[in-house]
Amino acid sequence: MSIALDRQIRPIYDSLDTGANKSAIVGCNKLLKKHPKNALVQALKALALVRSQKVEEALALCDEVLEYKPTDDATLNAMMHVLRGLGRHKDMITMYEAAYKKQPANEELGAQTFFANVRANNWKSAQQVASKMYKQFQEDRYLYWSAISTVLQANDPNTAAEMRTLLYKLALRLITSSPASSHVHPDRFHLHLTILRELREFDEAMALLETPNGQNICQTNLACNEIRRDIMRLRGALEDEGRRAEQRILNKNDRNWLEFLSVVDGTFSHLTVSKPSEDAREQCLSKVSNTLALFTKISVQDGKKDRSGLLGLLELESRSRKHGISTDPTRMVQLLKQYFETFGDKACCYEDLKPYVSLEGGDLAAWTEFLKASPPPLSTTENVKRVINTHKLLRYNLSASELTVEAESSRAVLYIEQYLEGLPLGKDLPVTELQHVDDFAILAASVFVNIWKLNGDIKYLYNAVVLLEFALSQSKQAFQMRLMLIRIYRLLGSPSVALEHYRLLGIKQVQNDTLSHFILSRASTFSLAASGDLTLSTECVESSQIYISNSQETSDFVIRAFSGEKYSQIPQFILFENWLDNSLQRDIVKLEYLRMRITHEVISSEVIDLELIELKFVFDRIHHDNRDLEIIPNYQPRDVESFNAQTMMFEKSEGHGWVWSFLKSYIKAFSQASDLDDVVEEKLLVGDRPQAAGPAKTGTLKERLAIREKEELAELTSDELSLISYADALAEWLEPFHDHVRPPASVVLAEAAKQTELKTGMPLKGVDITPPNGHVKKEEDTPPITEAPEDLVKFFENMKARFETVENAESPNEALHVATLTQEAFLLFVIETLRFKSASVVKIHKLGNLVAKFKPIRAIAAGILKDMAGSLEKMSALEGTSEKRRDFVSACMLPSSQMDDDFQMNIAKKVTDSRKKVEEGVAKGLMRLCSTYEQ
Amino acid sequence: MSVLRPFQASDMFKFNNVNLDIWTETYNIGFYLHYLSRWPDLCCVQEAPTGRMMGYVIGKAEGQGAEWHGHVTAITVAPEYRRLSLARKMMSLLELVSDEIYRGFFVDLYVRCNNLVALELYEGMDYSVYRRVREYYGNLGVGKGGRDEEDAFDMRKPLSRDGARRSVRSNGRDIVVSAHDVS
Repeated sequence: MSIALDRQIRPIYDSLDTGANKSAIVGCNKLLKKHPKNALVQALKALALVRSQKVEEALALCDEVLEYKPTDDATLNAMMHVLRGLGRHKDMITMYEAAYKKQPANEELGAQTFFANVRANNWKSAQQVASKMYKQFQEDRYLYWSAISTVLQANDPNTAAEMRTLLYKLALRLITSSPASSHVHPDRFHLHLTILRELREFDEAMALLETPNGQNICQTNLACNEIRRDIMRLRGALEDEGRRAEQRILNKNDRNWLEFLSVVDGTFSHLTVSKPSEDAREQCLSKVSNTLALFTKISVQDGKKDRSGLLGLLELESRSRKHGISTDPTRMVQLLKQYFETFGDKACCYEDLKPYVSLEGGDLAAWTEFLKASPPPLSTTENVKRVINTHKLLRYNLSASELTVEAESSRAVLYIEQYLEGLPLGKDLPVTELQHVDDFAILAASVFVNIWKLNGDIKYLYNAVVLLEFALSQSKQAFQMRLMLIRIYRLLGSPSVALEHYRLLGIKQVQNDTLSHFILSRASTFSLAASGDLTLSTECVESSQIYISNSQETSDFVIRAFSGEKYSQIPQFILFENWLDNSLQRDIVKLEYLRMRITHEVISSEVIDLELIELKFVFDRIHHDNRDLEIIPNYQPRDVESFNAQTMMFEKSEGHGWVWSFLKSYIKAFSQASDLDDVVEEKLLVGDRPQAAGPAKTGTLKERLAIREKEELAELTSDELSLISYADALAEWLEPFHDHVRPPASVVLAEAAKQTELKTGMPLKGVDITPPNGHVKKEEDTPPITEAPEDLVKFFENMKARFETVENAESPNEALHVATLTQEAFLLFVIETLRFKSASVVKIHKLGNLVAKFKPIRAIAAGILKDMAGSLEKMSALEGTSEKRRDFVSACMLPSSQMDDDFQMNIAKKVTDSRKKVEEGVAKGLMRLCSTYEQ
Repeated sequence: MSVLRPFQASDMFKFNNVNLDIWTETYNIGFYLHYLSRWPDLCCVQEAPTGRMMGYVIGKAEGQGAEWHGHVTAITVAPEYRRLSLARKMMSLLELVSDEIYRGFFVDLYVRCNNLVALELYEGMDYSVYRRVREYYGNLGVGKGGRDEEDAFDMRKPLSRDGARRSVRSNGRDIVVSAHDVS
């Protein structure tokens, strides 16, 4: 490249770096006038175009540059970004392969070719490239690249099971062919061990582990030590491992719980067979007494400094009981008491003991008696923690007969009293600290929720929110209370208050994936998008940003891990990328967003086409559930549902089944309404099709859509189930007419090509744009017009009846649920009948009789929706009154000295205002949609 | 009593009980992946036997010549697991690895000047203030911490390779540098 040209190109890079894509395009155009065939300038222009969302133009340029088969770094690099932006990983591979072939001595090109394959998860080719590089450049690194590529190929869900071992054997052969041994480098060693473990070559693994280097690595590298431990377990060397762990505990003061578990595992190693001999039991008994002595010694030595010794004793006794060789029937309770006495003032005491306190009979009685005996005064923070732990532990074992409304109520009173009594202990804490007594409030709120579950009286939820709001005002960072409040406010039909709290949590980045369910689960119930308020749908878009970051960034780090030879991380990164990409929550939010979108935007064929393509991608995913449901505290008794389950809206958690159910309904409706059939889609698709995660799903799309599994439907509320059946009936009825009217692929493609050419001045690649000769008329006649299935009208009538039974409920949620689902049914009807709106279509295909059947259904639906809107309107008028607020306050049973009337009134106002807003907004939305689509 | 194990990429799905705490920042995924792709052995997790995360540490090795050292980028323990010496255990591991694997001269970390609990903890573990860094942190917006809230102490502990303790000094609290001067 001439120096002059180089100087002219630099500003283009600057523009691209600063996001000034427009000026980059202008700069490129200027240069292209003089150098019309300069690949680098073309590539840079393509990049600027991609970044300005001008995909069609970028595609044309991109294809042109690819034809030159560039080899210079600058052009390749620009093109890499272009192709990534377009999702064309396969083309990237082709490009680098061609370049590397032209310059086989260029190491950088080899590495880039390898990385291109890595980005596309093309492990087999990656392995071949790495092997070739190893031969050429004689660097051990490349040998390891090829070995781990082989392992990754073996782990790929698309690889046949019988290939796995073969591939692992190949990987092992690659590593052992290296003149340098693996244990000079922890991550190489890690890879080597992983392979040996998979192949169960334990002797070989042990030989490596016992070298001085191997031992050293395991001392300092937790990841390698993890595999070592695993290998010991797999080869049944529990006893050896137990002895080793004992030495570490004694000599190195190691208090890693894993070491204690190893000692316990070693102790019972003789009893792992199904029918141990009497001899084995004897041996085991003597080992138990040795371990007992060891752990007792540690617990005495550590005292309050470390919990391992005592907890080890509990684990030992618990296993002894499981194996039926416990020698002292009182020891379990004795140890529990001892533990409680030593660590009862630690917040984690409850969690530590939980696995051991599911007691029965005499044990339970003794344990309960111990806990109940003379609780200490709430004069110190240690005592506060101790009393809280007592309550939690007692509560865990409460039986059904102890869980009456009266008994629970008096517990709530006690917890609140103690909360208030202990509160002054923390009066000097900085605002960033949690109050010591917080858990009293959490316990009391849990009790209120449990009473509500018992008797259905909503006033207990009011009490729960007032108490939690108060406690939160005293302990501003108590996120657990906030999470509980979010759940309860949603149950109360006050979504905007819930959202306020959610925002205060400061959810960021990957937390959007794990925590957005708190606010977006069944969010369309509360969506006001139809009346123009996009708060919730914006929330959906924002929480989904993380998936874009994931697909843009994570693969870069996989590459970096290769460059830095951090092999232990590579499978982890790939797994992480995969879980996030195929996140269940992602697609729950996607569906909620879609359900809101169609209430807000005009339903058009563009919206339908775009959504259809996206949904079909989603349909090929195998989802992973990353939602964090553990984060919400649970102190409900062991025989009662967890707090999480108790506060789920409509008592149903949406999971895979929910997603599949709605997905199928929408794909059905959209694919009927759309002109994009599979042939067209394939031609028009930009970028690679996402790799199916796992063995390809079998059957055609149509077959797959038709299946409704029982387990899937079980995740739906009864009203959602009605909607799904309605949608099925509607789709079944109209399918033949859609199929008849839909223009053939050639016509759709010709039209698309025409549009592209108008836009870019270049023909669409791979599509013949000569329009089919003459007027394409279908050979077949219009299918016979059939009556509308009765189910359609019946659905709307049933929903009307349902609405009437729930409209006077204390919480508006059911009414909102029924109303928004009825609205959704109406919109599905609009989607399914959109094609027949055009008078010419009706005329050409003689569908007048069919269209005539739409009218009465639409009219009935609209009539019912308007009635619902009217009722919601009335409900909202009532919510806004001072009477409602007074009702709320008078339902509160909390000590008014602290939580005074003003405080309570304030919350009452928040709750009722929020209800009013959502009822009003949904009503307005219903009216607007009726007027838009009634005709 | 807890499980000490390596930090893994998928721990990002599990760290909410730690990260929802105000003192702990949730960074973009690239931040964690960057550390894991370079210093996986300096990143570890403490986990309860139930599998619940208790805390984690993320560190790196950096510096030229005699400044070559292990650095604690983030160390955090969930509120309910404080006062159980978890931080101490994670620090010991990080020190061990910085010493034996990376052969660093010292380990260092930054702490808000007003975070007395942490300061005391680190002093108890033989860390001492090397310098005060002005406006190292953004304002938390929770109180009138003033300078002490935004400034950081850079604290150091010499490792075996620095037998002469050249990497620390006794008057560190009086040495003030601006945030640009540190990496």
